[in-house]
Amino acid sequence: MFELVDATKRYGPLVALAPLSLTITAGERLALMGPSGSGKTTLLHLLAGVIQPDEGRVAIAGRSTETLRPGRDLARLVGVMAQGFDLVPSLAVVHNVLAGRLGEWGIGRSLLSLVFPRELPLAQAALNRVGVGTKLYERTARLSGGEQQRVALARLLVQQPRAILADEPVSSVDPARAEDLLTLLVEVAAEDGRTLIASMHAVPLALRYFSRVIALRHGHLVFDRATTAVTEADLTALYDLRQEEARDVR
Amino acid sequence: MSANPLKVEARGDRLALDAGRTPVASSEPGLPQRSLALRASGWLLVALVVASWVFVVSEPSAHVGDLISRETLDHGRDFLQQLAGVGEARPAYRDPGQWRQAARLAYRTLAMSVLAIGFATIGTLLTVMAGARPVLDEGRPWPRTLLFGLTRAAWIFSRAVPELVWALLIIFVFSPGILAGALALGLHNFGVLGRLCAEVVENLDRRPIRAVRSAGAGRGQTLLYAVLPSALPAFLTFVLYRWEVVIRTTIVVGFVSAAGLGREFRLALSFFHYSDVTLLVLVYVLLVFAVDATSVGLRRLAR
Ligand SMILES: Nc1ncnc2c1ncn2[C@@H]1O[C@H](COP(=O)(O)OP(=O)(O)O)[C@@H](O)[C@H]1O
Ligand SMILES: [Mg+2]
Repeated sequence: MFELVDATKRYGPLVALAPLSLTITAGERLALMGPSGSGKTTLLHLLAGVIQPDEGRVAIAGRSTETLRPGRDLARLVGVMAQGFDLVPSLAVVHNVLAGRLGEWGIGRSLLSLVFPRELPLAQAALNRVGVGTKLYERTARLSGGEQQRVALARLLVQQPRAILADEPVSSVDPARAEDLLTLLVEVAAEDGRTLIASMHAVPLALRYFSRVIALRHGHLVFDRATTAVTEADLTALYDLRQEEARDVR
Repeated sequence: MSANPLKVEARGDRLALDAGRTPVASSEPGLPQRSLALRASGWLLVALVVASWVFVVSEPSAHVGDLISRETLDHGRDFLQQLAGVGEARPAYRDPGQWRQAARLAYRTLAMSVLAIGFATIGTLLTVMAGARPVLDEGRPWPRTLLFGLTRAAWIFSRAVPELVWALLIIFVFSPGILAGALALGLHNFGVLGRLCAEVVENLDRRPIRAVRSAGAGRGQTLLYAVLPSALPAFLTFVLYRWEVVIRTTIVVGFVSAAGLGREFRLALSFFHYSDVTLLVLVYVLLVFAVDATSVGLRRLAR
């Protein structure tokens, strides 16, 4: 599904991602871990085709991201979810959900839908699925953080990408809700064998819900293992590295 | 002047810009010095005020004495009496026919202001995306950069020319009247609104916009589903605010474009119909109040 070959990303002198080669097969559930600033978001953006590598190449479903311009083709391959800041607050929930259909719609239909929502049953079903079915016509700004996160997921449901990329999907949600949301995310991804890649802060959650873990630090790969093969030593190493990181900052 | 308080985006280029702005240097150890400087400037101020008055009063050509002379007082009293219509059998403001006439003029003035802000708004909506720095960081072909420059230049030009001057120019082409006045007001406010609204667009939160784009939306669709919904409430606020300004300017523009209350006002003054002036000013003030109240109400509704 995804292939990175020596993909590198720099911001000025800062190496956000050191040359990284990876293959991610369809249907994998992959957690990205590492302290903040380690390059998780950068890697997700590379995988999403939002940014291009400075060196090396990134391919999605066999196509180089160079050739995948933002728009319908890319939207059919990957769907992005980022901390619930990706909804338009002043729009009604239904329009934020139906935005997932824009790749399939023409401009006329899109405009009409803002007045008379099109494909309403689809939006309603998606919202029911994520448990906020009653909020169809609510202004999105009025929803809680957790509810907005669910609406963002509903948008992915109608977008139907082949892979879902989520940047810290549960870091702004309280722990109890985080479990619900992750369960939902994993379920949704499991349908149609979608690939799921999420950056995760909480180690236990990452180990429980994902099948593979990639740990980064300062843009370098620390380890890449099946969740079942992650050892205490790996985590201690990452944990110690975090301590070191904290000392660096001080 | 920005519509939104600065949004701290983790890596927005704006953040970098603002970080570069150094705070005003405060002379740390110089606390006693500063208070000395303060005191000195205080005394300097007093000295300046005294010196200015001495100069003004002693300067023979300033005619300061005339300001309070017997003659001026007489003139002032006469003028006020005329405005009040003393000695007239029926001052304008007690004549229902005159009121009706003034109300008609007020209505035309209102129409002129609505037309003007309508022109400005339509012009702004048509150009705002061309004149705003790009919201999507996807690079921009040169024709768009050219269009950007042209739009900015048009805005600067149209707002640099005051309404009154626009009116003077326009009546060379159009016959004087409501339309000419509205065009003059509209042209000036087009430049003002264009700039204000472009700033709104540039300050929008980019994250929802990028998200809609990555959900597969084209440029037009991104505009419809992300940019406009976020920007329109702020646009509306600025449009209403400019409308208040426009209604206050109609009287001056009416002077030269020969339309509405402004025209009657000038005529009444030139024919020494002072009680008519009183009536017109009254009606005008009522009109301004009404527009301000409506605007405030609408803005509250929009929130
Ligand atoms: N657009 C950018 N401009 C400059 N530096 C950036 C940019 N994006 C990321 N970085 C830097 O790259 C490094 C990795 O960032 P990021 O991928 O966001 O890490 P993470 O998501 O793990 O916290 C950080 O040091 C960050 O400051
Ligand atoms: Mg991050």
